[in-house]
Amino acid sequence: MMGPKINSRRVLVVARRVVRQLKRDRRTIGLITLAPVFLMILFGYALSGEMAGINLGVVDLGGQDALRDHLATVDDFDLLRLGSESDAERLIVEGRLHGAVVIRGEEVRVLLDGSSPQITASIMTEVKNGLLPLKGLQNGGRMDVGGELEDVEGGWLGGDGIVGGSSGPGGLGSDGDIGICAALGGYGGPGAAPEVVQRYIRGYDLEMMDSVGPAVLGLVVFFFTFITAAISFLRERTQGSLEKFMVSPLSRPEMVAGYLLGFSLFALLQSATTLLVVVLAFGVPMEGSPLTAFGVILLLGAGGLVLGAFLSNFAKTEFQVVQFIPIVILPQVVLSGVWWPLESIPAFLQPISYALPLTYSSDALRAVMLKGAGISEILVPDLLFLVGFFVLAFGAATLMLKREVG
Amino acid sequence: MKGEEFPAADPSQDYSIVARGLLKSFGKLKALNDLSVRMPRGTTYCLLGPNGSGKTTFIRAVAGLLRLDGGDLSVLGEPVHSVNRVYPRIGYMTQHKALYPDLTLRENMEFYAGLYGIEGWERDERISELLEMVDLADHIDRITGALSGGMYQRLSLACTLIHDPDLLLLDEPTVGVDPILREAFWRFFDGLAERGATILITTHLMDEAERCKIVGYMRAGRMLAEGSPEDLKRLAGLRPILRLWVKDPQASASSLAADGLEVEVVGGVLQVRIEEHGRLKEILEGVEPSDLRLVEPSLADAFLRLSEGGSR
Repeated sequence: MMGPKINSRRVLVVARRVVRQLKRDRRTIGLITLAPVFLMILFGYALSGEMAGINLGVVDLGGQDALRDHLATVDDFDLLRLGSESDAERLIVEGRLHGAVVIRGEEVRVLLDGSSPQITASIMTEVKNGLLPLKGLQNGGRMDVGGELEDVEGGWLGGDGIVGGSSGPGGLGSDGDIGICAALGGYGGPGAAPEVVQRYIRGYDLEMMDSVGPAVLGLVVFFFTFITAAISFLRERTQGSLEKFMVSPLSRPEMVAGYLLGFSLFALLQSATTLLVVVLAFGVPMEGSPLTAFGVILLLGAGGLVLGAFLSNFAKTEFQVVQFIPIVILPQVVLSGVWWPLESIPAFLQPISYALPLTYSSDALRAVMLKGAGISEILVPDLLFLVGFFVLAFGAATLMLKREVG
Repeated sequence: MKGEEFPAADPSQDYSIVARGLLKSFGKLKALNDLSVRMPRGTTYCLLGPNGSGKTTFIRAVAGLLRLDGGDLSVLGEPVHSVNRVYPRIGYMTQHKALYPDLTLRENMEFYAGLYGIEGWERDERISELLEMVDLADHIDRITGALSGGMYQRLSLACTLIHDPDLLLLDEPTVGVDPILREAFWRFFDGLAERGATILITTHLMDEAERCKIVGYMRAGRMLAEGSPEDLKRLAGLRPILRLWVKDPQASASSLAADGLEVEVVGGVLQVRIEEHGRLKEILEGVEPSDLRLVEPSLADAFLRLSEGGSR
C-alpha cells in the first residue's frame, strides 16, 4: 500500500519520540544499561572468580617461607600438609584435593585438577601473590586481577614449554595429563626468580570467561533489545497509535526504521558498558579492533530489535511477550555455542544451531576479541548471516504490520 | 428505509465519502450488510446505532484499515484501495487514546505534528491553539500519564486535529468529556465544517447526534434511516406528547380514549399524543388538569420507533 520511499524526516520524528520516551523511563534505561553490566559481572565472577572452600595440599620441602605463610592466610583455602608430591597427586585423582603446591627450594610446582577454571585461577593467583613480596615488586605494585588472569592464561594458552608472562591469544589449553610448564615472568629479578611449574593432574583447562565472555556479550545485548522492542511494539498496537500511524503519512518501513534509530542510541550505550565490563573488569582479551566488536554487537542488537518487532505481532499482552523468552532466547542460549563448542551439540540439532544469529555473533566476537580478526575475516559467514538475518526480520516486521489490516 | 431513499442529494454538491453496497463479514457476522451512504463535504455526520451495528467497522473501512468483501467506497475522491494518497488529509481518532503516557502533552503533540511534517513556529502555534480549545493549555508540560480520563480524551482529539484535516473520523470522541467542554467541541466541529471539513462521528449519545447536520442510524450493518434530526423524527411519525396532571388519571384516560385519542398513564400522569392541535382545547376542557406540559419527541424516541420498524 505504501510506497517504498522512506522519508528520513519522519524516521527522525519516530526516533526522537522513542528516545524521549526511554529517557523518561528510568527503569527501562536501567534495564538496558545496567542489567547487562550486572549480568556480565555475575557471569564474570561465576566463571572466573575466586572460590571459597578450596582444598589445597601443601608439600613443603623447604624454601619459599613467604609463599607458605601466605597460603596459610588465604581464607578460601583449606590447607592439608602432605609429605610428598605423589601423595598430593593421589589425593587429587581421588577428588579429595582441588590442587596442591609443592615447594622445593627455588622450584614451586602447582598440581591442579584442571576441570575447574575458577579454582585453577584462584590457586594460581594466590601462589603468585605469595611470591610477590619476595621479588621486590619491580613492576611497581600489586597487579590487578585482570592482569593476573592474563598472565596466568598466557602461560596456559601459549602451548607447551615455558612461556613468559605475556598474555597470549585464546585457544584451548593442553590436552590430558601432560603437564604444561609455566614460569611466572615479568617480575624480573634475574637468577632469584622461583620457577613455578603448573601441572594438570586431570582434564585440561581454559579460561572460561575468555571463551564465553565475547559470546555472552552478544547474548545479553540480543536479549535486551529483543524484549524491549517486542514490548514497545506491542504497546503501539494496544494503545492504538499503530492504527493511527496506518492512517497517516508514516509508512511501515519508516516506523520500524525510526524505532531502530531511536533504540540504537541505547543499544550503543548498552554495548559499550557491557564491553567495558567484560574487557576491563574481567580481563577478557581484546586482540582485534574494539570498533569491529562493537559493530558486530550493534548488528546483532538491530537483528534482535526487528525480530522483537516482528514477534510482537503474535503477542496480545506483555505477559505473552515474556513467553517468547523460552522460545526465542533459550534455544540460542543452549544451541549457539555460547557455553560449549558447536561440535559438542548433537548432529541432529546442529542445523538449528546454524540458523541462529547468536551462533554467528559468538563466532565473530570470539574471532575479533580473542584472535584479533578483522572485518574481512569475519565477513563470511558471520557478518553476512547477521546482515541477512536483520534484513529478513526487518522485512517480516514491516510486512506483519501491513497484515494488521484485515 | 435505506440511505438512497432519502431526499435526493444536490448533484452539484461534492461528497467526501461515497459508499455503495458495502459488504464485510467477520466469520458469520455480517458487520456491513449492503451499506450505502453518501457524506457531503462540509457537514457533520453522525453515525448512531447500538453496539455491533457496524459503526466502527464502517469508520475503519473508510480509513482503509479493512479489506471489504464487496461494494464501492471512495474517500475524498480516491477509491478506497488508494486511500493512503489522502491520508495526510484525514484525521482519525480511534476509541483507543493513541497517546504516549510517558511523554508530556507538548511532546505527544509534537510527535504527531512531525508525522505530518508540521514544524517550527507553525507547529508551536497550532499546538497552543488546540490545547486552548480542549482546555489543556495549562498542562502543556505535564506528563500525559498523569492526566485524568477526560483529559486524555481531549488531548487525543487535539492530536487528531494537529494537521487541520479535511476529513475527520471520530470514533466516540466525547466519551468522558463534560457537557460544557462538549459544547466547546461542537462549536469547534461546526467551525471546521463551515470551512469545508467533513466530520464523521460515531456516538451513543442522542443529544450529541441532535447537534449533527445529518444523522444515520445503523443496525445490523445496514443504514436503517438517515436524514437531519428533524427529518428523522418526522419519518418516525412522532408527534408531541401532552402530559397532564389530573385528579383521576385512569377515568380521564378512559374518557379520552373513547374519543379516539391515543392515551396512556405513566407514573400517575396522563399522556396524550397530540394529533391535531385543534383538539387541544377539547382535551383540556374535558379533564381540567392542575398542570400540563408539552413534550417534543426526542431523537431517541425516533430511533426507538425506527428500530421497532426495522426489526419487524
